[in-house]
Amino acid sequence: MPPLLEARALTKKFPGVIALRDVAFALAPGEIHALCGENGAGKSTLIKLLSGIHPHGSYEGELRVEGRVAAFKNIRDAEAAGIAVITQEFALIDELSIAENIFLGRAPRKGVRIDWLEMNKRAGVLLADFGLSLAPETPVKHLGIGQKQLIEIVRAMDKKSRVLVLDEPTAALTEQEVDVLLEHLRRLRAQGTACIYISHKLDEVFAICDRITVLRDGASITTFATKDATVPLVIKHMVGREITDLFPRKPTIAVAGAEAALVVKGLAVAPSPSGPAFLHDISFELRPGEVLGFGGLMGAGRTELLMHLFGAWGHRLAGEVTLRGQPYPQPDPRTSIARGLVLASEDRRRYGLILHQEIGFNLSLSSLGQFTRFAGRVDTAAEHVRNQHFFDAMRIKAPDQRARAGGLSGGNQQKVVLGKALMTEPTVVMLDEPTRGIDVGAKLEVYELINRLTAEGKAVILVSSELPELMGMSDRIIMLHEGAVGGEFTRTEFTQERLLAAAMGHAASSAA
Amino acid sequence: MNARTVLKPLAMPLALLAIVAFFAVKEPAFIGARNLTQLLIEFSIVATLALGMFMIILTGNIDLSVGSGVGLVGGVAAVLAFNHDWAAAPAMLAGLTVAVLLWFLIGVLIVKQKMPSFIITLGGLLIFKGLFWLVINNSTVPVSRGDTDTLFSLLTTYYLPASVGLAIAGALAIALGWLQWRGRSARLAHQLAVPPPSLALAKWLATTAGLVALVLVCNKFRGVPLTLLILGATAFTVFFLTKHTPFGRYLYAIGGNEEAAHLSGIAVDRIIIWAYVLMGVAVALTGFMMTAYSGASTTTVGDLMELDAIAACVIGGTALKGGRGTVWGVLFGALIMTALLNGMTLLAVSPELKFIARGGVLALAVWMDVRFSRA
Repeated sequence: MPPLLEARALTKKFPGVIALRDVAFALAPGEIHALCGENGAGKSTLIKLLSGIHPHGSYEGELRVEGRVAAFKNIRDAEAAGIAVITQEFALIDELSIAENIFLGRAPRKGVRIDWLEMNKRAGVLLADFGLSLAPETPVKHLGIGQKQLIEIVRAMDKKSRVLVLDEPTAALTEQEVDVLLEHLRRLRAQGTACIYISHKLDEVFAICDRITVLRDGASITTFATKDATVPLVIKHMVGREITDLFPRKPTIAVAGAEAALVVKGLAVAPSPSGPAFLHDISFELRPGEVLGFGGLMGAGRTELLMHLFGAWGHRLAGEVTLRGQPYPQPDPRTSIARGLVLASEDRRRYGLILHQEIGFNLSLSSLGQFTRFAGRVDTAAEHVRNQHFFDAMRIKAPDQRARAGGLSGGNQQKVVLGKALMTEPTVVMLDEPTRGIDVGAKLEVYELINRLTAEGKAVILVSSELPELMGMSDRIIMLHEGAVGGEFTRTEFTQERLLAAAMGHAASSAA
Repeated sequence: MNARTVLKPLAMPLALLAIVAFFAVKEPAFIGARNLTQLLIEFSIVATLALGMFMIILTGNIDLSVGSGVGLVGGVAAVLAFNHDWAAAPAMLAGLTVAVLLWFLIGVLIVKQKMPSFIITLGGLLIFKGLFWLVINNSTVPVSRGDTDTLFSLLTTYYLPASVGLAIAGALAIALGWLQWRGRSARLAHQLAVPPPSLALAKWLATTAGLVALVLVCNKFRGVPLTLLILGATAFTVFFLTKHTPFGRYLYAIGGNEEAAHLSGIAVDRIIIWAYVLMGVAVALTGFMMTAYSGASTTTVGDLMELDAIAACVIGGTALKGGRGTVWGVLFGALIMTALLNGMTLLAVSPELKFIARGGVLALAVWMDVRFSRA
């Protein structure tokens, strides 16, 4: 019997990046098959190919459904072939009822009007079959995340889907909700539905999946039967890289007895004043001249932690932050910058730059006070000189500082963002994914910059999804796991296995 | 450089030239000293309002309430001056206070309550119109008693003596030359590139010639109108604010990318509130001039002026999304708008057609904005 769904030698290229290379993957009928890999290993890209988001013709290699070559032009084609993708962002409309959502776009009709009775009756049957005691007329906005997920599955099953693709389905679920979901998946498997299960939570993967395929750097590394695999073995294959001397970190000799640049004690933060805590009990100290790395899986709270410390995210429920010896209870970006704490954001196009303005405009934007003279006039000549200094020091590749920021490459945009942050003369520099999407040469320049900063006695917080980079450039690493500290490591304790295990919430000793 | 980038800066002068040529051919009086002076007064009134609107639009917001506001503020001052015998100065000061308070409130509602500016000022349009009609009791309130001239009524009827006009033009020319020279030497001191001296001199000479010609034309009628001086002061202030202060930079930054501006340490809320307060000041100035120009406060004063102000900004190249635009552009836009209206009035075009032409120009300007923003 041919596989239900098969990928043969799939290669997907984006400008400058090969997202997938020669990926092979086969889903047997009635199995639950896990896809495992680090952030950026190619899982999302693979799903987008399977579900028609990246259409046929935009990739090399072939997709087969039950042995026949499939050429999905869009999501509809994939759905028609029985493939349903359920992502973290639900495709449910909050204001509509459960029944309306299940039958969205294919409501039963009586003449030109919608047959509400029939629709609600049929939805009720489906819900009951699924063992859900929900009224079909309930607005979806009143449901919890776990319930919404189940509604999506109900809808997919009613569309006669044969393959369910679940992308991080349990990321936002409570333990009970996870149990309910897994129970449903087992039942669907027994009825012959196949499932591709993507999760960072290896215990779930081991609890439910029949087979595991590991992706790394866009390639399919291996496929195990779950009964032949162990957690450490899977992690080893996910990591599998050698650290080269690409990372020129020169640890600075910490000044004994120097005052900590930043002290965080028992920090708990919620997205909104009424919401539950997203970051829990985070404590650390940052010393001048030190690079403290923060790692963790997507959604672990790294960016949120930095944004909160800077004053751009969340509501502090508990904890104390001390910046250069002074308490800092209510952060906001303006005060942070004035007190020497800066953030170079991960999303530089959204949070970092005024894209259609000139490089110089962006560089000096946070530092205009330095050039303000009588009657609030900006001394543009002095500003120009200072901009030019940073333009040269950051080695921004552009004709001159009057070029528009939006026209620069990712690496050069990053340099503008860093230059803007550094012009404010900070003492604590927070870098969120400073090398994301930039080429190797530009990365090296960022690493050298980090060395220069710490040599000058500045303290650096580095967030990175790439473990080799994090290990190569940090003096100390804290791994976050689900908004809390999953483990803290000094340089001699760095191994990818240990860090990844901590990121996944496994005790450091259970890995390696 | 493609054709579009070459043509864009020339588009407005060419459009203005075409409009002036068209009306001048149809009715030679259009370029007579009397009508040109009239046109300058109308231009001053529209442009003052447009300059306030300019700072709002720079932040990516909008203000639809200014037309009603112009009527209301002028009405408040007129009622105090005519019905309650206040002197012109305190009456206008009261009007100014009302405007500043109202626009401060609008700003606060937008940033603190997160109300979209489009909706809150649409509400303001109706509320202010209602308040306006209440204040003047649906009647006609002259700006001063009988034939007596007050500061209020003189706003649009006073003309500078010929010699004073020339003196001011001369002083301006000298000041501009000095500023240019100072900026130039500051750049030279920092070893920055400067344009060749001949070009700088030619630019200064052209500006001076333009100024003197303007005054001479005005002097052929009654002299330079006071409103032009008010506009000059307003334009200089807005130019200085937007071009030479952190406040101005922040307006552009907020309109360009509000989130990035916030994370760059800009007090976004405070800047937007300030922009609305300044809009309030512009509304007050325009309200006094417009009411004085009508001779009395009546229910139609200020009607649709918000659209003229927005059109002037957009015609002048201000992006409705925010973050882009110049004072010069806005002045140009206002001039085009005024020339069009004035010319049509002179040709006795019917009101119906005038409305259609006004709307057509606005639509055309927005279309151009959408087209060029995409580029």
